[in-house]
Order: sequence, then C-alpha cells, then structure tokens
Amino acid sequence: MSLSPAELARYSRHLLLGEVGAAGQERLRAARVLVVGAGGLGSPAALYLAASGIGTLGVVDCDVVEVSNLQRQVLFDTQDVGRAKADAAREHLVALNPQISVVAHALELKAANVAELVHQYDVVVDGCDRVATRYLVNDACVIFAKPLVSAAIYRFEGQAMTYVPGRGPCYRCLFPDVGAGVTPSCAEAGVLGVLPGVLGAIQATEAIKIILGIGELLIGRLLTYDALAMRFGDFAFARRPDCAVCGDHPDICAPRDSVARGAAVPPGVRRLAPAELAAMRGEPGQQAEPVQLVDVREPHEFAAGHLARALSIPLGQIERRVAELARDATIVFVCRTGARSAQAAAIAARHGVPRIAQLEGGLLAFAAAIDSSLRVL
Amino acid sequence: MNCTVRVASPLRSYTGGAQAVQAQGATVAELLADLERRHPGMRFRMIDEQGRIRPHIRLFAGSREIRDLSERMDGERVLHLICALSGG
Repeated sequence: MSLSPAELARYSRHLLLGEVGAAGQERLRAARVLVVGAGGLGSPAALYLAASGIGTLGVVDCDVVEVSNLQRQVLFDTQDVGRAKADAAREHLVALNPQISVVAHALELKAANVAELVHQYDVVVDGCDRVATRYLVNDACVIFAKPLVSAAIYRFEGQAMTYVPGRGPCYRCLFPDVGAGVTPSCAEAGVLGVLPGVLGAIQATEAIKIILGIGELLIGRLLTYDALAMRFGDFAFARRPDCAVCGDHPDICAPRDSVARGAAVPPGVRRLAPAELAAMRGEPGQQAEPVQLVDVREPHEFAAGHLARALSIPLGQIERRVAELARDATIVFVCRTGARSAQAAAIAARHGVPRIAQLEGGLLAFAAAIDSSLRVL
Repeated sequence: MNCTVRVASPLRSYTGGAQAVQAQGATVAELLADLERRHPGMRFRMIDEQGRIRPHIRLFAGSREIRDLSERMDGERVLHLICALSGG
C-alpha cells in the first residue's frame, strides 16, 4: 500500500533521501521493532523509532516510573511518576506519532515468555539494565535468528553493538559471561543524564539501517563512547567458535534464565545474614567479638547513609589500603547488594587478612530486615 | 616501550580517576605488570588467578583484540582496557 497524504507530509524529509524514499518509508511502516527496557536507552530509541514511522513498536518493561528516572528517561514526564512504564511509554509514543501502532508489554522478560515476544518482531533493541536480561535477549535473538542492537551505559561511558544472524558475532562472543554485580548498574554508580541519549539514538539508527538494508552496521564492532573525553572508539571482535550460544557446538539451545552470580566468595569468608551482623555489632564495648566494618561503596553512596562506625574504603582502593584492615578483629565488608563486598573479601583473603566476613544481600537487605532508617542509594 | 593505556570507567578508581595513564612494556603482560606496580590491584580486576583475561574485560592494542597476554604491542602505542557495562 502506498503512503497516504498524511504520511507523505510527515515523512517528507525521509522521502528526500535516496537511501530511504517512499519504498524505504513503506519498509519502515511494515517493520516491527521490540524495545527491551523503557529506561535511559529505551526512551530515546523508542522516541526516534516512533518518529521515524516504524509501523509496530513494542515496549517491554515491568517497572513503574520513578522521579529519579526523569533526569535521563526522556520518554516520561513528571505526571507519569508511579505509572507503569510500558503504558506511559505507549501513550507518549502514540501522541508523538498516531500513525503507528505501539504495544505495551508490562511484564518481566523471562525464559518462559521471551520466545513468544521475540517471535512477534523483526528487530530487537536492547536497553535493559540487568545483566541476566541482557544475556537472555542475546540468546533469544541468536536462537530465533532476530537482529539485535544492544547497548549499555555506565557513568560517562557507553557501548553499542549489532548482531545480525549469520553475519557476525553475538554479545556472548564479546563478553562470554558477566556475573551480576561485576558491572555496577546506573542506580549504583550513577549516570550522566544525557549519556543514554547518545547511545539510544545510535541504537535507533542501527535498527532503521537494518530495516532499510543500508549503510554499515556495528556487526563485529564494539562502539564505545566516552563523554568526558568526548571520544568514540571502534573495536573489531570476531565470532568465537566456542561461544555458548552462537558457537560451533552451542550449550545454550533454548532461552534460559541466568542464575544470579556475584563474585565468588572465597573459602573461609563468613557470609552474614543481616540479623547476624546486627548481633555481631552490638553496642561499643559489648561486642561478642571485635568487628571492623568496612563499607566498600563509592564515597557518594557512603555519604548518603552508612552503618555507624563503618570505615569507608571504596572497592577500588582496598588493594592499596589493605594495611588499614585490623588483624585483631573480624573484617566485615558491606556494600549495596553484596557483590562488591564479595570482591573485597577475595582481595583481603589474598592478602592474608585472617578473619573476613561479608554481608550477604548487602545494605539493601540490612535496611529491609533490620534498620529501615538506613538510606541506601 | 612507553604506551598510553586508556582505562574503562569501572577501573578508574585505581588510577585516581584518570582516563589514560602511561605504562612500559613490549608485551601486554609486561604492560599489565607495570600497570600493577603503578596502580596496585588493577591487574587482578582484569586478570584472574589463572592468568586469563576475565570474561567481562577485553583488551585491545590499538584496534586489535588481545586474546593472549604474551602478544606483543608491535609498535602500537595505545592499549585499551574495555569493561562490560550493564546500565540501561
């Protein structure tokens, strides 16, 4: 079906481009794109895809809009706080372009539902903020042969890559396995509000190029962006014959949920439940055993709220400040979720610190179980 | 050989926040050893106890991916330390 007068008017700047034209615009209209995560990346990606006339846009997200999202998630406004992201996204995208269809998927992407969802779309744009989801989406796209544009952000830095079935490596070829907590989330580490705007726009660009069949894609290339240095990098990487999902003899032949895997806690390190830590701390002078609490979060997290008498040594400084750890007390490492404290415990163990413990579940668990007044960023 | 090492954000707590630092070495292993001398603890975040590059880290000499630490820089003056990111 040819473009309507309203479409000809709306997409006139596309129609002027020989690489798009009326035929290309019709291809965009016929395309179905799934955006995973309506967050910092998904917001600009979905806005540009909608504006560009992608005929069917799916948005999957199980969260609600929080006020702290608005610094970067430009798909939402202040009135959306408390609403389901998928529903609010749909409303805004349809308002931007009533000529397209937007499908809200207010659900958590799991192995049990990813196949049904991915099958409905031609291209997947992944802007999720969970390691497990990132691998689930990658694996599903490899298994069901769907192109994937993946991106991630951290503080002032971003990365993007594109997978096209049969034409290059997948995300697992680049990073075979990343344990949860090894790479901090935006909630833990912070992010410059405008940063995901750059990466999300790149994702939308790649998706549109895939649909139109034009240009050079980020296949087998990791694009990096450092906003502080204002520097882009472009790194070639190859498919791994031993890749667990796209390799010659794949282990993963159906989507599966990852088991959350933090840094390994070495043998001899005690893992404390929040109640155990509370009992160990006791009152000064009344402790059952001498305890030195070491908070390994970043300084801004520590400043927002911390346990009394905790020593602040960010994870990145543990190695060179190991002499500050008492040898006549049990060192209890704490962090937000328990991931960084496990890494700190491993470093201390390597340096021969005799008694080491780690707060399982981190200060989030401690605040939930013991002290609701503790502010944890 | 003196090289510039470009440091991924998650590793910059070891370099006092610096995005780029200097290191000496003809091979990647030598560069990482020198980095460790200058920024204690940094190597362990990238290389495991068996001497393997950790699965969330990638090293590039210029634009060439490094799979083996014994690889030489071969005149390339920039080593990039890339770390998987997970924020969205």
